[in-house]
Amino acid sequence: MEGTERLQTPELTVIDERGLMDVPFLLLTLLLVAIGVIMMFSASYARAFYKEGSSTYYFARQGGFALAGIVVMWIVSRINYQWWRVGSVPIMAAAVVLLILVPVIGKEENGATRWIRLFGIGFQPSELAKLAVVLCFAAMISFYRDRMQTFRYGVLPFAGILVVIAGLLYLEPHLSATLIILATGAVMMFLGGTKLRWFGLGAALVALVMVVYLTTQGYASDRITAWRDPFSDQSDKGYQILQSLYAIGSGGMMGLGLGRSRQKYLYLPEEHNDYLFPIVCEELGFVGAVLVLLLFALLIFRGYWIAIHARDRFGSLVAAGITTLLLLQVFLNVGVVTNLLPATGISLPFFSYGGTALLVQLTEMGIILNISRSNRNNLI
Amino acid sequence: MKRNVKKQQGAESGQWANRTVLRRTLVMMGIGIAAFLPLVAQLFSLMILRHDELEARAINNQTRSTAITADRGVIYDRNMNILATSKTVENVFVDPVEIKQKKQDVAVLAEGLGKALGVEESLVYEQAADTTKRYKIIKRRVEEEEAQKVRDFINEKDVDGVYLEPDSKRYYPYGSLCAQVLGFTQSDNVGAEGLEKYYDESLSGISGKIITTKGNYGSEMLYTNEKYYDATNGNSLVLTLDTTVQYYLEKNLETAIEKYDVLNGAFGLVMDVNTGEILGMATLGSYDPNNYVEVYDSELSQELEQQYLQAQLLPEGSPAYKEAIDEYNQAMSAARLKQWRNRAVSDGYEPGSTFKVVTLASALEEQAVTLENQFYCGGAANFAERDRPLKCWKAAGHGAEDTRQALGNSCNIAFANIGLALGGDTLYRYVRDFGLLEKTGIDLPGEAVGYFYSKEAIDPHAVGGGSNTITASFGQSFKITPVQLVRAISAVVNGGYLVEPHIVGQILDESGAVVQKNERTVLRQVISEDTSATMRELMEYVVTDGTAGNAKVAGYRIGGKTGTSEKLDVYDENGKATEDKIVSFVGVAPIDDPQYVVLAALDTPSRETGIYISGGVMAAPTVGNILSDILPYLGVEPDYTDADIGRINVTVPNVLTLTEAEAAKALKEKSLTYRVVGEGETVTDMIPTPNSEVPGTSEIVLYMGEAKPTDHVTVPDFYGMNMAQANEAAVNNGLYLLARGTDYNGATVNVTWQNIDPGTEVVRGTTVTVEFTDHSAQD
Repeated sequence: MEGTERLQTPELTVIDERGLMDVPFLLLTLLLVAIGVIMMFSASYARAFYKEGSSTYYFARQGGFALAGIVVMWIVSRINYQWWRVGSVPIMAAAVVLLILVPVIGKEENGATRWIRLFGIGFQPSELAKLAVVLCFAAMISFYRDRMQTFRYGVLPFAGILVVIAGLLYLEPHLSATLIILATGAVMMFLGGTKLRWFGLGAALVALVMVVYLTTQGYASDRITAWRDPFSDQSDKGYQILQSLYAIGSGGMMGLGLGRSRQKYLYLPEEHNDYLFPIVCEELGFVGAVLVLLLFALLIFRGYWIAIHARDRFGSLVAAGITTLLLLQVFLNVGVVTNLLPATGISLPFFSYGGTALLVQLTEMGIILNISRSNRNNLI
Repeated sequence: MKRNVKKQQGAESGQWANRTVLRRTLVMMGIGIAAFLPLVAQLFSLMILRHDELEARAINNQTRSTAITADRGVIYDRNMNILATSKTVENVFVDPVEIKQKKQDVAVLAEGLGKALGVEESLVYEQAADTTKRYKIIKRRVEEEEAQKVRDFINEKDVDGVYLEPDSKRYYPYGSLCAQVLGFTQSDNVGAEGLEKYYDESLSGISGKIITTKGNYGSEMLYTNEKYYDATNGNSLVLTLDTTVQYYLEKNLETAIEKYDVLNGAFGLVMDVNTGEILGMATLGSYDPNNYVEVYDSELSQELEQQYLQAQLLPEGSPAYKEAIDEYNQAMSAARLKQWRNRAVSDGYEPGSTFKVVTLASALEEQAVTLENQFYCGGAANFAERDRPLKCWKAAGHGAEDTRQALGNSCNIAFANIGLALGGDTLYRYVRDFGLLEKTGIDLPGEAVGYFYSKEAIDPHAVGGGSNTITASFGQSFKITPVQLVRAISAVVNGGYLVEPHIVGQILDESGAVVQKNERTVLRQVISEDTSATMRELMEYVVTDGTAGNAKVAGYRIGGKTGTSEKLDVYDENGKATEDKIVSFVGVAPIDDPQYVVLAALDTPSRETGIYISGGVMAAPTVGNILSDILPYLGVEPDYTDADIGRINVTVPNVLTLTEAEAAKALKEKSLTYRVVGEGETVTDMIPTPNSEVPGTSEIVLYMGEAKPTDHVTVPDFYGMNMAQANEAAVNNGLYLLARGTDYNGATVNVTWQNIDPGTEVVRGTTVTVEFTDHSAQD
């Protein structure tokens, strides 16, 4: 993983302003961040008022992080993505160390320890681990090239890393992050050329682990029950999903209007976080909700488009990996809040409250933007 | 490609890899876009297809509905006296969940609430133990004083989990007066009997509610949709009933029950014959609707108490104990149902001879008989229609009598002939037209219809039809309700019009506006004006010269008819008919211009009093007394004959300091006489004292200079005395005597009642009221 030939090319500099950024991708990102912050404000002000004493508590913080994130995105978009080939190693190392530290210095919430504080900022190491997996795998795939077809190179090292990270996440426990990391890792391997037969085997293995996990972890199997029939137990397990469905269903075609959600008045738990999308549905209606999903779909389409047009395999893999990460989070979040999938805690990128997550997401967007600079045709 | 793995080096190196990455990225792009399709489909399902359902559930979840109770309407009598009203009270309840959460000491609560409310402490423990509930009642309908004690307790001890909520309680200011008419409301404020039940919907109003969108903390939202549905308070009823009339009705029935030792209560009705307005309706023994569960018949209440105590002696939990308690509970509920029952409406009774009015009116209308018909009563008579001879109530027989006398004598044999002359089929038709086969439609719950012969059973051509016609003619072997009877009698005297009786005159909404007005409703004309006029004359004859002499009221012309009937379907332990009797009298006044009909019926007078059990002896004077009380009150002008003057009270004028001539003039104006004691110029003292009430024509003693005796005199025992003896006894004791009842001065007349008990010490010149009864009036 020492890099490729291109890393040694003399014209390579850290500051990369060789081409234009992909404008559609940039605009879609900014648009989603803007809508996300506004909706987060609308959804959170009741909670902010009752719990924090100020209606703008969450908005002010999220807005600050969004602005900082855009600055970070701009900076990252100017960093030559080739540096991430090398950078992926310390990032992966840092992610693993932090994941190991989580049980030691993390703070427990609802029976799970997922957060640590670094320099006064609450931070989920799993967010970093996701990026680490994408960067690291892309670098490895680029390095292994055709050897990806073999088990020794195409499966073993990737599976090893995934087992370590998934194992650490499992200990927190953090099911949703585990799933996303595994799925992202698998997609990276798929893109990199790992033989398809290994995916069949891997899927069987994951299924087995899931069954064992769901039967041994009480809180997870309760979620399955609530998913199957949210109306069965309105006061307890089914409460959250039921309140979510009330919010979504109340929206109708045109919604109640911006700011006019009723469910946000402390009925819907986590309405500023994992369950923000239902408030979007309630206030903006089916039209608004589909519009938001369309923006995400376009962003994801554009992400893969950039990947396809990337100058090299590494850039292509990083762009596709980050886009996949985005896709997985959007799909799982919306799938959960609409009760298409069993409940699990996955935030909606750009929308959910959480400063560091937003920073990481915008950093990722910055990476894609930099890749787009060197695209073969970035004006289309 | 697999085969080429080892060759992929150098310049061509990475071509496979590049193609693979490209191809697979395209696949992921397709999957990525496709992934949004199920999401959009699910959103469409939730937001469009299931929108209404989910929104309704959401709104239900977000809104809080607070009930606003409607005030129950007031029940007024015809003069706007309040008969029933609601008062705000409070319910005390505990929240066991909160008590548990906030770790309240139940012992403290139990002691505090026990003291404040007078409830058993064990009850508080019991209610607080149900920690799954948030509402357990400690005591309902607590009045302000007790509620304040609970509030003080909560504040002093800083107690959590004890609450008060407003409720309302029904009050009946007149107590037991017209209890069965009013009924009562049960603990949930739902009318259970009487008018409270019949007009429950109108009285209770519609409770309103406030619907507030609330946050999950109970705080209100910024964009609130608050909707108020105002409570519509209940309507009020203005009755046609008059509390004063009702009071006189109940008082006189009460007196009759005592006088004649009536064993099974009494009932009575006062109705306006022209409009059907009920002015009084009574069933005795009664109860107090303020505490309707208590049994007010003291004998029955003691029996129940004994029964309960006996049951308690049995080992608790044993089958015998359980059985005894069941029996007790059944007896208790039977006793309550009995006292709540409005017999004037809900029970049929045997009308007996009062029904002869209906028979005769029908026969006259059909001209089956005229006033000129002659009948002969030898005490008993054989009829082809009957197996056994028919006995008249007067064994000696009434001899020859015309139609008028037949009614006056209440002669069964004559009425058997009248009935046969009319024909059972025609009689049936009239019974039906007089409304005796149908409900009267009075606005009270549980109206009964009674029962009568079927059309076939009374048909002259049917086997036994003639015999049944004979029995029916004088009012035996069938039952009608009291309200059916007074309505039929009203039709007989009011020109023949059958009206619909009603007890509610107006329904007012909360602002006092009239919502509904019940006016005179004429259903049909049953007999002609002429027949009606004849019947009035005949009914007056019954009072002046017939069996109802005891019903005479000085100054008024009364008509009526007595009735004495053996109760059907009442048997003693051996299965024999008990021969228990209902005696009744239905009177109309003034008979020359009928306004009011009064029925009084006494159920089972005791055989122990020695007074002959008959309507004429017992019920006629009762109705007479009722009429003499209510007619002046109702503004019916009396018209006293000279003979009447001695039978009414006049007020003694103040003639002190006047000369004899002046005094004589003043006294003469009041139809009083006088004698002088002493030789002075002016009146220095008098017996009785000025402004006391004495019967007209009484002799006033004027003391002119001489001292008045101030000793007390003893009221003699007038019972059983004839008129001469009574007058003598009164004079001898320095008392004035006001006579009531019959004015017939015959051997069969004596005193049956006096208003001041024998042996009582009173001042000289006191007026004692006595009631003369003609004991020959044996029907």
